Amino acid sequence: QKTKNKLKNPFLKVEDRRRRYRPFYLQLSSFPVVNYSNPKPYSPFETERKNIIAHKQIENKQRNPANNDKGKGPVQLPAKHKKRKGYCECCLKKYDDLQIHVESEQHQNFAQSSHYQVVDDIISKFSCNFVELSTPKIKRRKCSV
Amino acid sequence: MKYDHSKKLSGASTDIEQLYQAVPQLANVFRIKGKIGEGTFSSVYLAIAQLRGGHEEKVALKHLIPTSHPVRIAAELQCLIIAGGQDNVMGVRYCFRKNDHVVIVMPYLEHESFLDILNSLSFEEVRDYMFNLLKALKRIHYFGIVHRDVKPSNFLYNRQMKRYALVDFGLAQGTPDTKIELLKVIQSEAQQESCAWNKPQITLGSQVSVTARAPRQLVRQPAARTANKRPCSLSQTQIKQGQKRKEGPESLHVQRSVFGERNFNVRSSASQDNSTVKLIKQPRVTDIAARKILAKKKTTSAVTNGLVKKAASSYPTNVTCDCYAKDRVCSVCLSRRQQVAPRAGTPGFRAPEVLTKFPNQTTAIDMWSAGIIFLSLLSGRYPFYKASDDLTALAQIMTIRGSRETIQAAKTFGKSILCSKDIPAQDLRMLCERLRGSKTSFDISTGDGQINLSQEPALQAEIFNISDPALQTSKKHLQYQKPSCHERDGLVIRTSEKPADLGWDKVPDEAYDLLDKLLDLNPATRITAKDALLHPFFKNIKQ
Ligand SMILES: [Zn+2]
Repeated sequence: QKTKNKLKNPFLKVEDRRRRYRPFYLQLSSFPVVNYSNPKPYSPFETERKNIIAHKQIENKQRNPANNDKGKGPVQLPAKHKKRKGYCECCLKKYDDLQIHVESEQHQNFAQSSHYQVVDDIISKFSCNFVELSTPKIKRRKCSV
Repeated sequence: MKYDHSKKLSGASTDIEQLYQAVPQLANVFRIKGKIGEGTFSSVYLAIAQLRGGHEEKVALKHLIPTSHPVRIAAELQCLIIAGGQDNVMGVRYCFRKNDHVVIVMPYLEHESFLDILNSLSFEEVRDYMFNLLKALKRIHYFGIVHRDVKPSNFLYNRQMKRYALVDFGLAQGTPDTKIELLKVIQSEAQQESCAWNKPQITLGSQVSVTARAPRQLVRQPAARTANKRPCSLSQTQIKQGQKRKEGPESLHVQRSVFGERNFNVRSSASQDNSTVKLIKQPRVTDIAARKILAKKKTTSAVTNGLVKKAASSYPTNVTCDCYAKDRVCSVCLSRRQQVAPRAGTPGFRAPEVLTKFPNQTTAIDMWSAGIIFLSLLSGRYPFYKASDDLTALAQIMTIRGSRETIQAAKTFGKSILCSKDIPAQDLRMLCERLRGSKTSFDISTGDGQINLSQEPALQAEIFNISDPALQTSKKHLQYQKPSCHERDGLVIRTSEKPADLGWDKVPDEAYDLLDKLLDLNPATRITAKDALLHPFFKNIKQ
């Protein structure tokens, strides 16, 4: 039993010409138009005027203090644990929290494995002409990795 | 790598401490001054190093996300070593590793924010910018590197010194004959669907936001948050290059023997779940039809699952339906598996073949992206396209390049596009001049506008639509521009009032001809970097 549905205008539908894959489509409330009256440098496709205005306000607030801060030392901010979702290419595994994943046993096993030989092979070919930062008693010498 | 110039070098001290902890060797060599960029797959820091001989050097330290596969890390290094260091391609100084933490040391190039300078550039500067971008692309394409993420924030520009650097090979892929050996190991999802079976289809970037931009850009461009998805999958079971499998059910059958029934089944249900999520998640899309069907599908899921399985395992072709090239979908076509094609990159810079999931993408996708940058430069608009999903981006491209033209080109790479509206292509000069707001563009009531009205029916509607605001644009212009341009107010306003000063009053036809060739909807005929450098637009350029 087939379920059919007609796409509502305006729409855009893309499919593989050999019909092997799932078509994908978009039904929009309106087709995009070039809006010449958006002020520069905004996209002619920016539809939300409020974005433009909100953006201006934020920009002004953030820009000026940013300029004043230049030259001052780094500001100490409290450590904030960012939960970052993603996919680990090493463990072939999705994670919900980057920090927790990289500390996991599986990932740590990989981290300390010989898989990184391919990276080390490349590193071994570099010559390093940075010198170690001088501390009072240690002589400058070639950096070691 | 995402540099961010305007982000102040502060507030990241905890990140700096963590970096020193992760790779302790750094403390012996660098004074890390601050974080200057953060992306999905890396963070970039500015640091000072001592050189032998006494003087100091600024370097950029790129700390890769520890979940990067070592082969990908090595491939990125190989790109920098082999292709980098000349012709405006970023090079590499050194690399540090401790366990899964890798830090790439690169020369630091102080650079402008594209948005800040966009509307103060002279036409000659734009020509130089494009020439130097194309030089970098010619270089990497010669080595068979598809960058995949060409955009202003990955092309560093020091206006005063006239220096340029293409950066970030974190999403790069190799052409079939790439000279970067390790890019051969990294295969596209299309070539190596096997990994996608393990890898969730969920766009990594949609969860992990790209905060490389200044906060203001985040506000302005939420679409960019969904920007980067790694283009390809790495698996511990690498399949040798050259064994490029045919797509389709047969090859899936082959896959099963490699990865096992269990994986196969996991993916087939997962892929369906994901497509559900995808459809419902799409913002501002009226997707009632799909929801209805999906709702019904739940009750018949056993049937559809069986269908997918059967089709995938034994039937040479899918069960057909009569929805092809028609304004409808049904449970049969919607139950087919999704085509897997690389789409890493940033939404507004993706070529039509990327947006329509053409699997065999080439270096031509970078040329399209270069065309989008050129479009921004000529029109004074950035980002030019503003889309939160691929098909909205495609609709916007059709609005500029024409629906019939887009449909025609897509046929050449095996895609059928059905569009409910027929949109004529825009004349690129008229488009850019009106958007830039140079003299002719405001002059809607006279010559140019009239010609346009009679030539292009769609534009006609538009002109009526905006004629009022357009006439007011000059007023609004100043109003809006003032806050955004602060330090450069004077210059920018002068620009819009007297385009003659910066050469914008006499943009040659060659500029729009090159733009047309970069934004060629057909990747097979799109101009290459090598040919673009020989384009008459660049004649007599001082190199
Ligand atoms: Zn892992």
